[in-house]
Amino acid sequence: MIITKAKEKGDVVATLKDVKSVFLIGCSECASLCGTGSPEALAAMKETLEAEGKKVTGSMMAKTGCQVLGTKVELKPAKEEIDAADAILVMSCGAGTQAMVEVFKDKRVYPANDTTFLGNMTRFQQFDERCSMCGECIIDKTGGICPVTTCPKGILNGPCGGTNNGMCEVSPDIECAWAKIYARMERTGELDKMREIVPPKDYSKKLSPKVWVIEKKKEEK
Amino acid sequence: MKKFKEALESGEFTITAECGPPKGTDIEEMLSHAKHLLGKVHGINVTDNQSAVVRIGSLGVCRLLSEMGHDPIFQLTCRDRNRLAIQSDLMGAHILGIKNVLCMTGDHVSAGDHKTAKPVYDFESVQLLQCVGKLNSGTDWEGNAMKGATNLYQGAVVTPESNPLEPQMLKFEKKIKAGANFFQTQAIYDMDNFKRFMDRARKHDVKVLAGILLLKNAGMANFLNKFVPGITVPQELIDKLKAAGKEGALDAGMDIAAEQVRIIKEQGLADGAHVMAIGLEDKVPDILQRAGIA
Ligand code: SF4
Ligand code: SF4
Repeated sequence: MIITKAKEKGDVVATLKDVKSVFLIGCSECASLCGTGSPEALAAMKETLEAEGKKVTGSMMAKTGCQVLGTKVELKPAKEEIDAADAILVMSCGAGTQAMVEVFKDKRVYPANDTTFLGNMTRFQQFDERCSMCGECIIDKTGGICPVTTCPKGILNGPCGGTNNGMCEVSPDIECAWAKIYARMERTGELDKMREIVPPKDYSKKLSPKVWVIEKKKEEK
Repeated sequence: MKKFKEALESGEFTITAECGPPKGTDIEEMLSHAKHLLGKVHGINVTDNQSAVVRIGSLGVCRLLSEMGHDPIFQLTCRDRNRLAIQSDLMGAHILGIKNVLCMTGDHVSAGDHKTAKPVYDFESVQLLQCVGKLNSGTDWEGNAMKGATNLYQGAVVTPESNPLEPQMLKFEKKIKAGANFFQTQAIYDMDNFKRFMDRARKHDVKVLAGILLLKNAGMANFLNKFVPGITVPQELIDKLKAAGKEGALDAGMDIAAEQVRIIKEQGLADGAHVMAIGLEDKVPDILQRAGIA
């Protein structure tokens, strides 16, 4: 899921400096699980903005905020409230925010959150980064543990000299990805594979912006 | 005095030291330290933004030291350069007359003085070694023909005290497979551990220089134990430094370093020693003399 963090209240208020009235949009998917775009977060934002003298003309929870067409349809009933607002504050990820930029051609749309990473929910409200969407998965070669993401140096061929009792030199809070990979490949009987040199990543697979169109299977007659 | 590669390949006990370029353009002290080492060491490493702290680039300093009469070892990390910059720097090194390159991944930017920088790591040490091999054979990384190949003697680093050790050994083997001719080790103090490491390293056709780091006082030894992964200073040595008192600590440290070099040479534990004095390079000749070298 996409992990978002709420911006500091002061920063949001500063963004809305020239704006008197605001319409809020949340998202029922990732941003709700992160608590940054849930109904509760929207209610809290309303309170904050009203305390700052702003008028909140209304709010809406998108089902999937990054889904442009669906969200556009969902917004129809709120047309009057939206028209009455000087700006829209989107409480989802950067993709959801830009979905609204696309829908509202002439209206100001601002983000309420910082979008940080693709995360696994490893405990309730704890998110860990395991995959950074490099475009070419290589974890078949690394025991199913991603060094591109979980080694701060993205090393593909074994530990640096800084591995420290199984922890990472970069932070004592991170386990060394390569200590984990070794231990797992030992358990799964794949150490031989670990001896093979892994080539550098193909960064052309990660160039932005990307577009991906799933073509419908043509029925052959 | 033989050049670094020549000494190492001839089987002579080979000595290297280190030169850390300063931040800023006043290089007087650095050059004077380097002068002290002339005729005493076979090679001299020039660090590359060591600890991710911004300093003068290693390539320019390598050239200055080679003009002085040294045989510099160009340390090249993958932290600050993508594969284009790496290759152009390697070719640059060749045309500047630099013969040796030490291939490293590089300390993370979070360790340094520009913590908001973008770490590059397009390559890492193993791939960098492969890349040097390609340039030496006359093609760039992608296989495009070059007008004139490089001729660089490539080496790498290894941490014999790494914990866990097995993944480190596996990477050591990969580095050999990727073309490393020589290794300089992270600082070692426990000779028994080092012997065990060398027993395994000796199975490969590769030269190893033992890393000797001068202990300046007990505080430094404690700091290394606490904060530098892969370095373990035995309590016995810390006690020696303590017993020497404030005045005598450095001298005791020099004795310890000299003793290590002597043992390694006499017992043929390694092919040479890489003596790191971090800012006290002018003490290196004295250490070597105490070790019975030169
Ligand atoms: S290699 Fe890592 S970053 Fe790339 S797709 Fe696989 S898990 Fe994700
Ligand atoms: S200690 Fe391990 S995880 Fe940390 S940078 Fe080194 S290899 Fe990567």
